[in-house]
Amino acid sequence: MIQSLMDRIQFNFIDGDRWVYLADGLKNTLIMTVFALLLGLVIGFLIAIVRSTHDKTGSLRVLNLFCKVYLTVIRGTPVLVQLLICYFVILVNTGLPKVAIAFIAFGLNSGAYVAEIIRSGIMSIDNGQFEAGRSLGFNYVQTMIFIILPQALKNVLPALGNEFIVLLKETSVAGYIAIADLTKGGDIIRSRTFDAFMPLITVAIIYLVMVLTFSKLLSILERRLRNNER
Amino acid sequence: MSVKEPLIRVEDLKKEFTGVHALNGVSTKICRGEVVFVVGPSGSGKSTFLRCLNRLEDPTSGHIYFDGVDLLDKKVNINRHRQKMGMVFQHFNLFPHMTVLRNMTIAPMKLQGVSREEAEKEAMKLLERVGLADRAGAYPSQLSGGQKQRVAIVRALCMKPEVMLFDEPTSALDPEMVGEVLQVMGELAKENMTMVVVTHEMGFAKEVAHRVLFMAEGQILEEGPPAEFFANPKNERLKAFLSKVI
Repeated sequence: MIQSLMDRIQFNFIDGDRWVYLADGLKNTLIMTVFALLLGLVIGFLIAIVRSTHDKTGSLRVLNLFCKVYLTVIRGTPVLVQLLICYFVILVNTGLPKVAIAFIAFGLNSGAYVAEIIRSGIMSIDNGQFEAGRSLGFNYVQTMIFIILPQALKNVLPALGNEFIVLLKETSVAGYIAIADLTKGGDIIRSRTFDAFMPLITVAIIYLVMVLTFSKLLSILERRLRNNER
Repeated sequence: MSVKEPLIRVEDLKKEFTGVHALNGVSTKICRGEVVFVVGPSGSGKSTFLRCLNRLEDPTSGHIYFDGVDLLDKKVNINRHRQKMGMVFQHFNLFPHMTVLRNMTIAPMKLQGVSREEAEKEAMKLLERVGLADRAGAYPSQLSGGQKQRVAIVRALCMKPEVMLFDEPTSALDPEMVGEVLQVMGELAKENMTMVVVTHEMGFAKEVAHRVLFMAEGQILEEGPPAEFFANPKNERLKAFLSKVI
């Protein structure tokens, strides 16, 4: 029993250096996730500021409308379709590497969700905080930066963490545009060895370990920030 | 026109919230060093009046001259002028993510270019005066209501304002904490700080005010020095109001 398990590990991962498929795949998955996350945060941040400024003051009408259309389109269509459109339609002749196209697509997608998360955080801060900042002489932007956003971001940290986890797992559809990500790596091994169980379970475990590690780090960060106050 | 320009001159101030006239033509002058109390029933527009003074509420029409500058002029940089107008809120509005000291130093440091040492020295001096020097490192959630409001007052003072606006500063406090806040305000009045106070504390108004305004339905119906105002009210609405609250 144990011997047969060892044989299968040997056959699936060691022979022909097939573990490299997983290692390279993991590298691509992480690259896509990290860059998509950064892009998503930047986009989400900007949209959230525009949207909540509009909600609070009634200005930025046109920009707000633009943001709303963006949110509707991104949230109303599947991420896989968006990825395919990015690859085959929009960025087809740019000569960008596939991984770059993928993280742009995932970043654009994630940005829509991050925007609504951050906006909910901003809107959850009592208006008195805003008035206190303004009454001291801070302008709108300074009040946002020094007073509202630090509180808002702390409040939405769990939701942002959740979005990061979703993003990490979502990159598994990158195989559709022939990117060798972690999922694709496992699938390639399966097609070589005709053993579905070992490579796919291994891939699942790697995702799980990454998510658990991240969750743990996030809860430590949250506790730190709370301790600051009470 | 007097030789000395008043610090704040309000002319025919109107504020309309969708269909409701919160302020219906308010005019008054507030001189340097004067302590003006604004009283009146709820919904009379007294808080709106106060919030219009530093434009937290944008008036519909009228003029507010602060130090000779019309604050309602579109070209005025209101942020500049707000630095000279300290405001204290009913619900304190301290910044919960900052320590007491940081609450007090952030505005002078970011807006007036004061160095950290300087700002902290000044803040500690003020905290000492209100008896909270040992709480400098605490977060607002660790303070009592009275302590929070005292910090809110000295936070505004850190900007060295020319006038202090108080919007019902004791209304959200437990009764036993009202005294400590009023004491700080009383000391401030003695030091010739210009103050505009919206409050329901009639006893305190009698004691500290130079002038009391009675507002109802968005207008000033009567005003005068407190002795006259409370002992000998002329307006019927004011008589009815005083008979209920005193």
